[in-house]
Amino acid sequence: MSSLQEKIEQYRQLFNDLAAKTKNSRDLEELKQAFLGRKKGYLTLLFDELKQLPPEEKRGAGEALNKFKTEIQQALSEIEERCQRPEVENPLTDLTLPGKKIYWGAPHPLTLFQRKIEKIFVSMGFSVEEGPEIETDYYNFEALNFPPYHPARDSWDTLYINDKLLLRTHTSPVQIRVMEKKKPPIRIIIPGKVYRRETSDPTHLPMFHQVEGLVVDRGITFAHLKGTLDYFIKALFGEKIKIRFRPSFFPFTEPSAEVDIECIACHGQDTQCRVCGGTGWKEILGAGLVDPQVFKNVNIDPEKYSGWAFGLGIDRTAMLAYEIPEMRYFYENDLRFLRQFNRK
Amino acid sequence: MNISYDWLNEYLDLNVPSRELAQYFNQIGLMVESLREIDGDTVYEIETYANRPDTLGHLGVARELAALLGLPLKSPSWPLVELDQSTSDLVDIQVLDSQLCPRYCGLVVKGVQVGPSPDWLKRRIEAVGLRPINNVVDISNYVCFSLGQPLHTFDFCQLKEARIIVRRARKGETLRTLDGQLVELTSDMLVIADEGKPVALAGIIGGEESGINEKTTDVFIESANFDPVSIRLTAKKLGLTTDASYRFERGVDINAAPLGAKMAASLLSQFGGKASRGLLDVYPNPRRTRSVPLRLKRVSELLGIEIPKEFVVRTLTALGLKLNEQKPGVWVTEIPSFRVDLEREADLIEEIARFFGYDRIPTEVTPARSFELPASERQDCLWLLKEILFHYGFDEVINFSFGDREKEKIWQTGLEPIKLQNPISSRASILRTSLLPGLVENTVWNYNREANGVHIFETGKIYFWEEDGKQREEWHLALLTSGQREAKTWNQPARETDYFFLKGAIEDLFSYLGYETPSFEPEDHSFFQTGQAVRISIKKEPVGYLGLLKPEIRLAYGLDKLAYGGELNLEVLFDRQPRAFSFTPVPRFPGVVRDLSFLVDSRINFQDIYSQLKKLNVPYLERFEIYDRFEGDSLSAGQVSYSVRFFFRHESRTLQAEEVDRAMLDIISQLKSGLKIQLR
Repeated sequence: MSSLQEKIEQYRQLFNDLAAKTKNSRDLEELKQAFLGRKKGYLTLLFDELKQLPPEEKRGAGEALNKFKTEIQQALSEIEERCQRPEVENPLTDLTLPGKKIYWGAPHPLTLFQRKIEKIFVSMGFSVEEGPEIETDYYNFEALNFPPYHPARDSWDTLYINDKLLLRTHTSPVQIRVMEKKKPPIRIIIPGKVYRRETSDPTHLPMFHQVEGLVVDRGITFAHLKGTLDYFIKALFGEKIKIRFRPSFFPFTEPSAEVDIECIACHGQDTQCRVCGGTGWKEILGAGLVDPQVFKNVNIDPEKYSGWAFGLGIDRTAMLAYEIPEMRYFYENDLRFLRQFNRK
Repeated sequence: MNISYDWLNEYLDLNVPSRELAQYFNQIGLMVESLREIDGDTVYEIETYANRPDTLGHLGVARELAALLGLPLKSPSWPLVELDQSTSDLVDIQVLDSQLCPRYCGLVVKGVQVGPSPDWLKRRIEAVGLRPINNVVDISNYVCFSLGQPLHTFDFCQLKEARIIVRRARKGETLRTLDGQLVELTSDMLVIADEGKPVALAGIIGGEESGINEKTTDVFIESANFDPVSIRLTAKKLGLTTDASYRFERGVDINAAPLGAKMAASLLSQFGGKASRGLLDVYPNPRRTRSVPLRLKRVSELLGIEIPKEFVVRTLTALGLKLNEQKPGVWVTEIPSFRVDLEREADLIEEIARFFGYDRIPTEVTPARSFELPASERQDCLWLLKEILFHYGFDEVINFSFGDREKEKIWQTGLEPIKLQNPISSRASILRTSLLPGLVENTVWNYNREANGVHIFETGKIYFWEEDGKQREEWHLALLTSGQREAKTWNQPARETDYFFLKGAIEDLFSYLGYETPSFEPEDHSFFQTGQAVRISIKKEPVGYLGLLKPEIRLAYGLDKLAYGGELNLEVLFDRQPRAFSFTPVPRFPGVVRDLSFLVDSRINFQDIYSQLKKLNVPYLERFEIYDRFEGDSLSAGQVSYSVRFFFRHESRTLQAEEVDRAMLDIISQLKSGLKIQLR
């Protein structure tokens, strides 16, 4: 074997070593220069040597050298292709390990549920109003047609601040405040905190949340009240929920109604049901046409305008929707309870 | 109110089985809350309303069912066995206050043998949930739960000089009532007195002395009507509710009084009683029948459905109203005295709807003539704020608005708390003046229940008296962060929360909500450890504060771990207009970046350095970032090193290196004069 062929063998070794270490296009460029550089490339130098060989050796060595060149060119183009593919530096051994998580805070269930309610009404063109929690007797009772010293007030046990001020027992005073300011048409809902002087039990606490709805316009009827609440309740509890309107009494509506939904725990199938007491129904809201005296109290002519109103306890309805047995869970703020609601 | 099926049958012949009757009750709003079967009778517990005293007796409930089921209402007769003497010969009745006692009927029944009631009467009494006592007392209860007319029976012989005087109590008078209490009377209370002293608290409870006992033979029956407000005020004042006061404060049928007395006297005749002749009926100002107009057109206008005229006439007539048609479909109705609730046309329309059936009224979506532009920016702002905090990993809590006066003192909020007149407990005697105490309690609660870290916020109101004595409610936001923020995982160590996590969340709140960057000035605050608090302000207006909670406060609540807290007055934000959003064109020419590291006196805080940088007036400077800060090591004491990266750009061409060099020189000279920086 000629010395040139031996050299080719050495360079082949060198090329293979370097090629194995070539990881990126910069290394590749260096490798290319080293072997194919026009002046000092190893291959260029080998070809120069070939020219000086005697003719009898030239033939065999020439073939070997050309073969080496082809090999290099092919290897380089393979490396080039490999360098264009991104490569993982430390391949992972177990791809089933848990991923990295970012914790998102949980909205309070009452916020979540109130927002659900607001969205339904906002989609029907209602706007959201608010009002003070510290109220006067006038707004909380008198303007809503509760006569002074009337037993109707007994269902609204009141926390007083002094002889003039009290904590609102319902969101209804905001109805009065809005109607005093604004001419019909009115189409609003009023969510907020309300207070009652009640002993705590699974469904009663001294503070809870209500949402009030009020529509005032010409030609508003009881059928409109029914239709809107029917839509609202179905939007909240699903299309198949059974709804029942039955007569009731509230000083500020006439006619008045209470609205029950079928018990979503037992669907009327369990006479011992803890949720509905076996009646198959669960009361969720009070409603009615705005009492003409309420209109008179805010200088709206009840002959020209009519309207409907409703009031719903957010806490108790959320208890039904999420099957929460006790109202106090909402106010204990136990993270193991609260954090369940970032999934809803 | 308990209603017995058998008892109802005294007034009508029910053609509906007892179990099915419940649905009819429900239809007309006499909601059945429970149903019991006792000895072959069925007892319904029905919900009654404050405006419907007529449903507090079986007759009234029977009338409703009769109207619904189209049944005739029976009126039983109450024959009397009479004495020769007339009532007025036996007893003298004087009503001195006809305002508070508009009607007073009395009868004397002599020769009654007091003893246990017969079984049928005991069953009635037990059906309404009372305990049978003796025939006289049971009969008066039977009348009360039949007609809704409370009666009182006196031992006639105990009435001094056989005289009944209805008057206001005199100062200093007392009465030992049937339940054994000694009541001090005041001049606003109406009493029934004999010649000497009060013998009963009118319409509420009788006196012990004149009560019926086994020795009683002669009974005086009182069947009267009292002013609802006066009864309510007295009953409230004494904290006493009786079956009588419950009915009187709702308004008893003024015309039930005579029948009540006669019915009782008739029943007493079964026990040897003979009634005095002629009912004594003191009724100086007979009430006029109320009349209420009704238009058929208005009925359908409000209910949203045509109601047949015959239905209207039939229903209201069955309920005891008289309809006088003025012109077709327009009536003047006469309201029976037992329906104290029917005063306006709307009340009659409710009656029609009730009996027509709410379920037969159609359901229609409420039409709208116009929609309002959404104006509830506050609500939007509150929700956006919450979403930002969820993103930071804060959980939302809601606490009661009440506060513990003693516990809140340690916080020294400097606000005058609003006290409740009738709080539920001393732990909830005031309205909170800060939201943070609630968050600290939540934190302790959760540390006691497996939590390793607590990161929570609340939005809600605080309440206080303003200096001018007016009440004030303010929307606040409070945040608290304590303990572990990220748990250890296979590829990452656990991470504790810190002050800058909380500050970062607050800074981002302002920026995402569209408000200008607030300033954070070190300032001590009663909630926080000395030197570990800052005041947050926008354009010099204070918005809130933030810092490391004071150990004394943590101790008071039993919180062992460090906790960082902050509270913002959201009213300040609501009062300000967030900057309106408008887009900035995406740059078309490349920017140039230059770094600058410098030393500055460590007494100058970051806030000052930041505002100096903000104030820089240099061409092409787009923004800057502080990317490094350190002290100690090779630096001499009292020096801090900052590294700032400046971004330059020209909007319509590529910047020349020399232009940026000049700008950097400019920056250096401005910082040298403003902050006395030394280049590194």
